[in-house]
Amino acid sequence: MLALLPQLVVSGTSTGMLYALIALSMTVVYRATTVVNFGHGDMVAAGAYAVFVFGLGFGLPFLVAMALAIALLFAAGFAAQRMLLQPIVAGPHLSLAMMALAIGYTLRGALRLQWGNETINPSRPYPQDVYLFGNVVVTTDDAVICGSVLLLLAALFLLLQVTPLGKVIQATFQSQRGAALVGINVPLFHALMWGGGAALGALGGVMLSLITPLTPDLGQWTLVQGFAAMTLGGFGSLGGAVAGGILLGITEKLLGFYVNTVFIEITGYLVPILVLMLRPQGLFGRRAVVRV
Amino acid sequence: MSRRLFWLLPLALLPVPLLLNPYQQYVLNTALLYVPVGIGFNLVVGNLGLLAFSNVAYFGLGAYTSGVMMVQLGMPWWLTVIPAALVGGIGGAIASIPALRGVRLFYLAIMTLAFGELMRWTYIRWEALTGGSMGMAVPTATLFGWALDTDRRRFYAFLALVVLLVAITDRLLRSRFGRAFLAIKDNEIAAAAMGIPTDRYIVLAFAWGGAVVGVGGAMFAISVGHLTPVSFDLTELIRQFAIIMVGGLASLTGAIIGAVIVTVAPQVFISFPGFDELVFGLLIVLVILFLPRGLASLLARVHPAFVERYYRG
Amino acid sequence: MAEICALIGPNGAGKTTLFNAVSGNVVADGGSIRFRGEEIAGLTPHEISARGARRTFQNGGLFPELTALENVLVGLHAQVGSGFFGLLFGRRSAAAEASATMRARELLSTMGLAHIAEQKAGALSGGQQRMVEIVRALATNPPLLLLDEPAVGLAPAARQQLTSVIRNLARTRNIGILLIEHAIELVMSVADRVIVLNDGRKVADAPPEQVRADRAVLEAYLGHA
Repeated sequence: MLALLPQLVVSGTSTGMLYALIALSMTVVYRATTVVNFGHGDMVAAGAYAVFVFGLGFGLPFLVAMALAIALLFAAGFAAQRMLLQPIVAGPHLSLAMMALAIGYTLRGALRLQWGNETINPSRPYPQDVYLFGNVVVTTDDAVICGSVLLLLAALFLLLQVTPLGKVIQATFQSQRGAALVGINVPLFHALMWGGGAALGALGGVMLSLITPLTPDLGQWTLVQGFAAMTLGGFGSLGGAVAGGILLGITEKLLGFYVNTVFIEITGYLVPILVLMLRPQGLFGRRAVVRV
Repeated sequence: MSRRLFWLLPLALLPVPLLLNPYQQYVLNTALLYVPVGIGFNLVVGNLGLLAFSNVAYFGLGAYTSGVMMVQLGMPWWLTVIPAALVGGIGGAIASIPALRGVRLFYLAIMTLAFGELMRWTYIRWEALTGGSMGMAVPTATLFGWALDTDRRRFYAFLALVVLLVAITDRLLRSRFGRAFLAIKDNEIAAAAMGIPTDRYIVLAFAWGGAVVGVGGAMFAISVGHLTPVSFDLTELIRQFAIIMVGGLASLTGAIIGAVIVTVAPQVFISFPGFDELVFGLLIVLVILFLPRGLASLLARVHPAFVERYYRG
Repeated sequence: MAEICALIGPNGAGKTTLFNAVSGNVVADGGSIRFRGEEIAGLTPHEISARGARRTFQNGGLFPELTALENVLVGLHAQVGSGFFGLLFGRRSAAAEASATMRARELLSTMGLAHIAEQKAGALSGGQQRMVEIVRALATNPPLLLLDEPAVGLAPAARQQLTSVIRNLARTRNIGILLIEHAIELVMSVADRVIVLNDGRKVADAPPEQVRADRAVLEAYLGHA
């Protein structure tokens, strides 16, 4: 039994990297705007479909299709914030949550209208292969997902820590009012972060389409897994989202193998419930309860 | 809604089945069963102001309770309505636990959403009772030995139940309870300082909401005749959300208007899967942007009879 | 004739924390809080409110979406005695509701607020909001009223009115008042007794004239007021 542990950790890490990317893209929006995007899962799904359309439909090379899909989702996220969220930004949380849900719902409807309820299996842009390290099997998918996410994380880290733009983003994350005082256009910043979150989500969608068939309802599952990873990581922390995602991926695999296979399906539902019951502020987060 | 109007509406509906074909009757029945679904949801989200996304859980619990009791115990449908309400109410009380622990806003939304998904997974996995993802056939309902085997017959049973539920909930909301819900929504701490045991009222709102929705689920079970877990997914959640957003938050009239619109409108697009979601998504977007208090607020502007004294969004 | 006791001290002295401990909004780490001979430390806010210690809040203590009348009705909540099941089957709740509404209107008109009864609390002026909040807290005739900075943000005329209202409550309605206030002239004119807090400790407890005379208190704790 224990002999399989390294294998489970490796494949769990691979799925976990994917969760990490999705949770990260949700966290970017949440940190920037303090609104959790309940439509984010559908944006991820839309990203996956967009690559499929650009690639197979228009016959573009995979990387070009991917770049176009990311650009498209960036524009969509930007426009959604500008046109739909910004007008009600001062309104109640409920309206903001509903608006995000409705955006996702609309996207899902559009996907279903075009493709019905059939599943699509996009072909990989590379030959699927397996590599053996001792008795641990690593698939090309694992390598591609882990490699891309790590590359992306490194790039994001450099962007945030080294560049002046990164400093501006970090400062605005910390204090919106302070940022506004020093002349940062906060509404524009919100729109850019919605775009950025959607673009990151689209990339997650691309990775997702490597390991799972596409259906218009893909976004529902994605949303729940993203929430679980965010909760584990403590809401709002970028590093926490990544850690939470990887932890979720590994936990799922271990519980699924050593305890019961049902945990592969329900860990994502149980995690937010259990974690928030034990610690209403998330595993590493600050308290988010009503103050006196 | 004024008293007279409240009783006029169901009276006016009595002869309507004579004018409808079976398909139209089915649509009307569906609209009726979504009225309690909207009312229960609205009680928690609109009146109490808590972001609980577990409405579909109560709906499914009510539907499966009714269906399973009919199949496994051979009970007549009308006897399963109260257990369906009870189980729905218990589901509501369970969903209120995080709120009692101080979980609010998106955290509460995420937890309750996960609770609903966990219930859906339970329906899929508990195959012995629910038939798993293939679903279960629900036998023909009877009411005191009278078979509810046509949509027209079910209509009258549904109408009676809905009138009862609306009347009780209306009474609840007009009383000090309804006022306490709104007070908790506006300012929880001040509400407690006025002597309101806020925790107890939160549980009450969730449980009553869950019970009302559970009855809607029992109606759903015999209306569709076949229960599958996919009827209780996140897409269904958003459809139910559309009822209260489009109809009007914290408004009984709103829940009724919303139920009718959400049920009737998609029939127009039924041959294009996805089109209804697209249209509803856009409709919710437009309502939030331009009519934040929903269609009920338009009615209230037309005539004071539609002003609901203790219901506000 | 009940006592008006004012609680003063610099920012961060612990005045509001003390208030919150009395009203049950925070749980004290230790010690004892006694109200009318009964230990109330550890009780929830609604239990303390039911025992007759009612409070107002520094800002925005009203229910902004409810009308002034409904705000007062919430204040009467415990006295509109309808239970959940009685409500479903009985007729008494309508009568209880009607008599509570009448009482709430009466209370508003004794403070000269009858004309704003149907207005949303959130739309009222600052002075009116403060008065509605006091009416709401007093609706149950509590023996103790806790006022958390009632004068803050009020125009001089409204402040005058507030002063006389507070005085009247203690003198004619026999309601004990514990008051946090930064407006020293108000404190000195209404209080029978002034308690000075600094850094979580009581440093003076005397009639206002004595506290005024206590130069050390003034210099140290009122920031040279």
